[in-house]
Amino acid sequence: MKALMSLGALVGIVGLLLLAGMIFDIIPSNTIRLVEGYMPMQMLFEVGCYVLGFTGLSYMLNAMGMGIPRFWQGIGFWIFFLLYIKYRVYPPIPFSVRAMYGTVGLVAVLMWVSANEEDWKKFKQPILNVLDAQTGFNKVLRYVYLIALPILTWGFSYNVMMPKSEEPIELRTVHPAPPASTKVHGKTYVLQTSLNPYRVNPEGKYDQEYSNSLIVEQGMGRLMKPNANPWDEKAEGYLKYVREGGEIFFQNCHFCHGDNLNGRGLHAFAFNPIPANFTDPGTIAQLQETFIFWRVAKGGMGLPNEGFPWASVMPPWEQHLTVDEMWKVILFEYWHTGYYPRTWD
Amino acid sequence: MQNSGTQKAGLTLSIAFGAALIIAGMEIPAFAQGGIPEGFKKGELAAPPSAEMIEAGKRVYFTKCVWCHGVDGAGDGPGADRLWPRPRNFNQGTFKIRHTASGELPLFDAKKPIRGQNDLFDTVTHGLPGSAMPPWEGILTEEQRLQVLAFVTTQLVKDRSFTDKQSETQTILNMAELKPKPATEESIKRGSELIVEKKCIECHGLEGRGDGNAFNLKDDWGFSIQPANWHKCWNFRGSRQDPYSVVNIFRTFSTGINGTPMPSFADNTTIDERWDIANFVNSLCERDEEGKPLPIDPLTDKPKINFVIPSNMVEGEIPADIENEAWKNAPRRYVAMGGQITHKPRNFVNRIDDIWVRSLYNDKSIAYLLEWDDRTKSVAEGKLPWAPTEVNIDIQEQEPSTGEGGSIAAKQNNYPVYNDAIAIETPVKWKELPAPIKPRYLFGTNEQFPVDIVKWEADGSIRAFKGTGWDKDFEERDNYEEHLKVLKSEWKNGRWYVMIERPLGNKKDQDYDEDTFFEVGQYIPTVFFAWDGHNGDAGRKMAVSAFYYTFMNPPIPQETYIYPVVIAVGVVFLEGWVLTRRANKKKGKTL
Repeated sequence: MKALMSLGALVGIVGLLLLAGMIFDIIPSNTIRLVEGYMPMQMLFEVGCYVLGFTGLSYMLNAMGMGIPRFWQGIGFWIFFLLYIKYRVYPPIPFSVRAMYGTVGLVAVLMWVSANEEDWKKFKQPILNVLDAQTGFNKVLRYVYLIALPILTWGFSYNVMMPKSEEPIELRTVHPAPPASTKVHGKTYVLQTSLNPYRVNPEGKYDQEYSNSLIVEQGMGRLMKPNANPWDEKAEGYLKYVREGGEIFFQNCHFCHGDNLNGRGLHAFAFNPIPANFTDPGTIAQLQETFIFWRVAKGGMGLPNEGFPWASVMPPWEQHLTVDEMWKVILFEYWHTGYYPRTWD
Repeated sequence: MQNSGTQKAGLTLSIAFGAALIIAGMEIPAFAQGGIPEGFKKGELAAPPSAEMIEAGKRVYFTKCVWCHGVDGAGDGPGADRLWPRPRNFNQGTFKIRHTASGELPLFDAKKPIRGQNDLFDTVTHGLPGSAMPPWEGILTEEQRLQVLAFVTTQLVKDRSFTDKQSETQTILNMAELKPKPATEESIKRGSELIVEKKCIECHGLEGRGDGNAFNLKDDWGFSIQPANWHKCWNFRGSRQDPYSVVNIFRTFSTGINGTPMPSFADNTTIDERWDIANFVNSLCERDEEGKPLPIDPLTDKPKINFVIPSNMVEGEIPADIENEAWKNAPRRYVAMGGQITHKPRNFVNRIDDIWVRSLYNDKSIAYLLEWDDRTKSVAEGKLPWAPTEVNIDIQEQEPSTGEGGSIAAKQNNYPVYNDAIAIETPVKWKELPAPIKPRYLFGTNEQFPVDIVKWEADGSIRAFKGTGWDKDFEERDNYEEHLKVLKSEWKNGRWYVMIERPLGNKKDQDYDEDTFFEVGQYIPTVFFAWDGHNGDAGRKMAVSAFYYTFMNPPIPQETYIYPVVIAVGVVFLEGWVLTRRANKKKGKTL
């Protein structure tokens, strides 16, 4: 038991040192990368490790007679959590989201410290001690609080009331409901039944299983399968069309969606909303191929109102590309990100 | 048979030896003048990468890189013809950002992914800002980045060899032992004198905006190339995602940029002088009001954007002088500009990538001060072949695939010259649209929700239009132009300063169906368009911003001072109540 706990304590200390390094910018927070697509699981795992580490640490400290009171444990863990989401997570998450996580974290900590009557008593004891002010130190502390609290509330409310020019928050629907069908270059495509004509095996038959077996491998780098190079001169069917789609992508789409399809192209910094990140599991991986076809063909202008059509720079690609070219680009996007399009059933 | 084989080998050997001698002979003069330049040390070529690494790198290359750099690494992939700068042609082994002496191959060691000691690895890791090359960190693992470079350096660099100790030398800038000189006023001042003395200003311009000799410079492949704008350090190719770092400037200045007219200054400056120059160049990069570096957005590696443009109130006339206190105190906003790539003709290469905006208002008008860097003042010669209101004009966009000769990079210094121009677009009747709905920002949605466009052109004209759709010709607005004023328009050393004043709008004098009415304390959607005449920009070939907001700061209401005090007093009472309650409880009493 003791050995296990010492190991836990060691993990806790190393973890804290790593976090401290990130806070003071000694270790850049992207040293240990959060992998796009696996981020939530990775974060849960990391926080879990920290919790285990802290348990070990707390046990060891208690054993050495230097235990930390429950009150400070609670506050300490909450502060740790706030620092973790601020400094560990890269790319950084906005304050509003951190505030939400912070509140959830606080509720969790309160639940933990009030799990049983005894713990709860232990937790609130320091607060009551200050209120009662039996010792000199607590008396001083009490007066400091008495004076500081009104001043802080005054400052805070003044700050809130001061007229500010902050950007109004506008919530946009990322994947608005698609129409039943869409008319492109004079032909009507029913979204439920249309198929990508280029998702074919070498015999020229529609074959999603075949194409899915040739997409790039998931995991870091997202590299092509060693025996499935679209640039192979002998590539036929699906892979040949992937290459053609890639050519169109890199002549038209990469300016915004980026060389790695992650929405960080050359012009992306100027636009708001930022271009879609296809490597994110929340975009094309969640959608049917025909949905993408509709979005590509009609662009920002074709969005329903909840999709903020006025702000999008996504071209209605039917102005620039043929139907075949659009299908090929879509084929390429799924190949390059290593995702399967969702099917209707 | 055996004999002829030996002879052949002997011949090859002697040719190789001769070639080595010639190459060595060519390189000798550079060193004979002063041996190793100050701050450099001799280095060794790294060991060649393993065959497995090269093979693994090929897989990375054909997944990620081939699309721009091409099958043979000649910088001619499918994406190349619409890019300026064009993707690197690896074949010649010419690489820009290095720690090695001018003309030498960059540092590359397939086993040493250490920042500052592996130039090609750093380039792949951090990308080349201002070009289409993105940072690959977080996308490719360290190992994958090294693998792809192993492939590129051994298979695609064809004219030179990273492993041939006979033909290649490595003279390395010894950054580890060079400590930056503190950027004191004295050092910066010395730097400002040195850039004149060393003729930096001949290309980079008097204010360092890259406007000297902007269209006569060519790179090794004959493509037009422009000197760096020192005020936009986040676009420095070698900034390594650390734009305000003086070390990177020192490195570029010491080693030069291979393949471009930027020489190495290692032979004719001392280390001390180089730090002075680097400090000065770094000091020019845009900073905030307090002189601190602008916060950089880690996702885009450009300055962080604040979408609200606050407008301060002034009493009386809006001053036309930029140096006036009111303008100096007005907050400055960075407005990012992208190419208009929604409708034909798309602008794949926009030379204007940001505008700095300030605003002031009084009881009748609002004024915008727009400053943007443009290396050339462009005014069209003669009359333009289309009316100012025409939208669908005859400008061709770049074809997707043309080959080098017809590529966008090859056209950069021979476009027909039109007027530089800037426009501010705001929605008409914006209050009738429930927020956040706005008219489409490219020239409005339709007749019902049009936009108000005020456009200034470098020929001195200022016009007001009504826009009702991206492909609908503009409509002139009756006598509105009489109310518009250009308080200032000046092009100086690579920067435009344009100050436009327009009426706030009111129901009495202006047309509610055509003009935007500006109201204090409201968020008025605002879009900026910019045209660079030397880029052949006209009509829809332009740079566009996203939606920003003009916000006219209201005077501070009295409540702001009163309520917080009331709340603070309330808290004091609350404290008293809690303490009394606790004291009573302890005494056994209850309230």
